[in-house]
Amino acid sequence: MAKQQISLTVNGDLYELLVSDQQTLLDIIRTEIGLTGTKRGCTTGACGVCTVHNADGEAVLSCLTHALEWDQESITTIEGLESDGELDAIQKAFVEYHALQCGFCTPGVVMSAKAVINKYPEPTEEQINAGMAGVLCRCTGHIKVKEAIRNTHKIRARDGVKGA
Amino acid sequence: MLLPQHNYLQPASLNECLMALQDAGEFGQIVAGGTDVIFNMRLKLFRPKTVVSIRRLTELMQVEELPDGSLRIGAACRLTDLAENPIINDRFPAFSESIRSVASTHIRNMATLGGNICLQTRCWFTNNSQQWRQGKESCFKTDGDICHVIKSSEKKCHAINNSDTPVALIALNAELTIQKSGAKRVLPIADFFNDDGIEFMKLCPDELVTHVTIPPCNDRLIFSKYAARKGIDFSIGSIAARCNGEGEQTDKVSLILGSLSTAPIKLTKAAEIIQTKGLTDGAIEQAADTVRGDLGEVTNLYSRAVYKKQIARVLVKRTLTHLKNM
Repeated sequence: MAKQQISLTVNGDLYELLVSDQQTLLDIIRTEIGLTGTKRGCTTGACGVCTVHNADGEAVLSCLTHALEWDQESITTIEGLESDGELDAIQKAFVEYHALQCGFCTPGVVMSAKAVINKYPEPTEEQINAGMAGVLCRCTGHIKVKEAIRNTHKIRARDGVKGA
Repeated sequence: MLLPQHNYLQPASLNECLMALQDAGEFGQIVAGGTDVIFNMRLKLFRPKTVVSIRRLTELMQVEELPDGSLRIGAACRLTDLAENPIINDRFPAFSESIRSVASTHIRNMATLGGNICLQTRCWFTNNSQQWRQGKESCFKTDGDICHVIKSSEKKCHAINNSDTPVALIALNAELTIQKSGAKRVLPIADFFNDDGIEFMKLCPDELVTHVTIPPCNDRLIFSKYAARKGIDFSIGSIAARCNGEGEQTDKVSLILGSLSTAPIKLTKAAEIIQTKGLTDGAIEQAADTVRGDLGEVTNLYSRAVYKKQIARVLVKRTLTHLKNM
């Protein structure tokens, strides 16, 4: 099939792209746009490393949706969290609480955590568990990640609101 | 890794969508959230020539209370939106619970109610990549002549109907509105599923489930799901239990089990025992004992069939006891 043109806003930048029926949102983020922070994992919806945010700041899986579906929409990827070189509070929390080890799942985990914070600035244990159930870390585990999410509001209070 | 070749359509209205489905015929596939469809396309279980998206059809995204007190929900409503809907939470908490139990937050942010109802059946053999499946003979579902899960002379696919919301919806006596170009029909969701893993629902290729209508319900109702990991996994077994009256007194009971077989199972024997004897501890124990006989062939997905049968008994006993104390 011939490719169709879509316009997609990624991290505030507008992209005009030629997209085929066979490409998923993840495919165009990584290959067409060249933002390789978003990872390809299980491609079945079990691991969550391809997580990006939709316009409402909710976590969605970019590997399970047609790219054509996102015409005229706006998404945020892991690259869009920092602003002017300063990390978002959630990213600082991950650094300070050492919530990663090998780092492969980290973009997906951070985006999922940010979605939790977007909805509940000071989330309860239950809200964290529900929001993070869709991502899987095979090396550092989820204890440190949860600690980072719990303490993000403290970092935000200390450093002020930065990032997307 | 690109998706298999197909033609992707985004109709602007319901009518246009129904026309597109009619044109596509048996090579058409509806997609809404994509969480099940794209997954199955990657496994080459779905090989559609045309994929029709209903994700942007606002006609199918309404939740409205009808004059007779029933609630009509559009099939393209996202599960997240429904789980947070105050009307559903207030009037049908068990249905709300069944929605929240579906997969993870990420998937519920994309998946729709219609998609969950029409969820493709699953089994441990077919739900693997094509290359993996080539290691064994093709099964009924993959155009072969054998079932790897339950070997019998019967020519039947035993893939499991693994979706959660229909279990609650059957207990609620919900009805599905099904449309095709120029025609519309209404079908109780209890009659929607077939006892077959391939033709698992009564839906023609040119038809679309457009709405779910739930009649008012003042009875006690509980939905419960058992899975390896609560946060994301498919059910090992799920149950919806409904009864009228208060305390031990009841004369109308319905028990629906999901994720054990090719279709949700209605437990008639157990319900009858409770209807005649009430929700006493003895009757609950007796009802739970009859469950095993009513299950038929249980497919061993995510755990052994023997374990799933034990879980079914536990779920019945647990929910009935819970109903009594409600």
